[in-house]
Amino acid sequence: MAREKIYQEEVFPSPFMQLWLIFRKTPTAMIGFVCFIFLILLAVFAPFLAPYSPVEGHLDMVLLPPAWHDNGNVSFLLGTDELGRDMLSRLMYGASLTFGLSFVVVIISLIIGVIIGSLSALTKGVKSSFLNHFLDVILSIPSLLLAIVIVAILGPGISNTVWAIVMVLIPQFIHITRYAVKEEFRKDYVLASRLDGASSFRVLYYSVFPNIVERLMSQATLAQSAAILDIATLGFLGLGAQIPLPEWGAILANGLERFYIAPWTVYLPGLSILFAVVATNLVGEGIRHALKLRKES
Amino acid sequence: MFIFTLRRLNLFIFTMLVLTLISFSLSYLFPGDPVINLSGQLNSSEEQLALLNENYHMQDNILWQYWAYIEHIIQGDLGLSMSSQSPVLNEIMILLPATIELSLVALLIAMFIGIPLGFIAAIKHNKTSDNIILSVAMFGYSIPVFWLGLLAILFFSIGLGWLPSAGRISLLFEIDIITGVLFFDILLSDSPDKWQAFQDATTHIILPACVVALAPATIFIRLARASMIEVLETSYIKAVKAKGLSFKQIIFRHALRNALIKIIRHVGLQFANLVTIAMVTEVIFSWPGIGRWLIESIYQRDYTAIQSGLLVLSCFIFIVHILTDFIYAALNPLARGNKHGS
Repeated sequence: MAREKIYQEEVFPSPFMQLWLIFRKTPTAMIGFVCFIFLILLAVFAPFLAPYSPVEGHLDMVLLPPAWHDNGNVSFLLGTDELGRDMLSRLMYGASLTFGLSFVVVIISLIIGVIIGSLSALTKGVKSSFLNHFLDVILSIPSLLLAIVIVAILGPGISNTVWAIVMVLIPQFIHITRYAVKEEFRKDYVLASRLDGASSFRVLYYSVFPNIVERLMSQATLAQSAAILDIATLGFLGLGAQIPLPEWGAILANGLERFYIAPWTVYLPGLSILFAVVATNLVGEGIRHALKLRKES
Repeated sequence: MFIFTLRRLNLFIFTMLVLTLISFSLSYLFPGDPVINLSGQLNSSEEQLALLNENYHMQDNILWQYWAYIEHIIQGDLGLSMSSQSPVLNEIMILLPATIELSLVALLIAMFIGIPLGFIAAIKHNKTSDNIILSVAMFGYSIPVFWLGLLAILFFSIGLGWLPSAGRISLLFEIDIITGVLFFDILLSDSPDKWQAFQDATTHIILPACVVALAPATIFIRLARASMIEVLETSYIKAVKAKGLSFKQIIFRHALRNALIKIIRHVGLQFANLVTIAMVTEVIFSWPGIGRWLIESIYQRDYTAIQSGLLVLSCFIFIVHILTDFIYAALNPLARGNKHGS
């Protein structure tokens, strides 16, 4: 039986729902969000969707331009590369490498960073000041430079790239979590639950985290756009994904030699990276915009 | 100001310690013998190896080893490059100025384009031009820099033929290295076709510098916009508005200076970002700088070079960081610490 509303109850949406309600009203953010979801789906289902294998060559169809070209062939929608590999399939598989891996990387470093950050927010004195200085130093070194050094230690390869970027992103999350937790701890509602006798851990889990989750998400989108660019750059430099893997940066580096005769092998992976980063940034902008509006309202 | 200097000095020493510690531990993390990684002497005999072990205190505990490493650094001995067997410091001294030159030119371009655009966006807040500038900025920092560099080469060098695509100067000109910064070297040299060389060097730097500048420029746009919006909402701007000053006077006399100061603080952080972008750009444009050299030494597994290159590059970034802090403090009294009564 349907429950009727007898009383004119005022419903207060949770902070997260409020954010979503504002977020939904910004068209650009929603476009970014749809693209973001599309990329995630593509990353997960690429093996089922792609028409060809990303490594298998069609030797009678070498360097075929995209289908809208005069010499193009509809069965290879985005053309082929110098070994006759279908560009569309390679780009689709690339989505799961470049975009999918960047997503995984961000989740891992988010979890580690939040744990260390919230623990360190509870410490005081010399330990805290040391950590602060240490983080400052690490954050002042550019992420790509650190990633290059870690890859130099571990050796080139896609899994090493992933670990390198995880390590590079952790300090950012520690920093933002620490800052946000400290700020929340000064507020009255935390004091109230402390007076109720809640332990630090309980305060952290039930009071603080629900209030900082959006800030972490906004940082996560920033981190992800950096991660996509870093994975692609390392792939381009030959330090990340190795040759047959269809990582976007590596595809681009691969097409470099035939840049002038087959420009689509360079245009298309670049455009895909740009698309992924723009989608991520649009979502991030949307979250930040919504956060600002929620604060004002 | 004195306490401020002390604090910065303290931070500097701490950072140097951490950086040298990282770079020292790299010699253990890299594959191979730590002493060979530190010194880079690959083909040394038994006696030489014993001497090296003695020099780097390899038999003693790890603290002594670290101390010996720091002593070597202070003496300017960064070891030999494993691939070329020449002192790393000499190579860095030739390469680093090229990177500094490229990044400084790029920084200037980024500031001169980004900051005014950001101010315009802030003044036209929430209007069409603001939105256009913001969306252009969004694309600017989303473009992968290596792709942008390639497109720039394809369009300007190959397609239009306006600008050269690689290198620092045409090989026809022979310029002696004095300072390492090419433009100064050209001016100092007594070659008869100085001005042609100067022009040639200028055409070579435009394309890579613009490519490097794009992403920082868009960040400057956002910073400038945010700080200008903040300044325009302060009460002193309201006060001058109430006094009846014209819009131009408000912006140029009161708002501009206060907004600029907030941006200067971020220049240091952006510089680190810019140097990384410059590293990738150097690879594409075959610019003979430290970034390309560092990436090539990774291909060649030249561990001594990676280690010292990292140390020098991050030192350089950090020094710029501290310098901008000082400039900021010199320009803005509020940053020097809490004043009495505040």
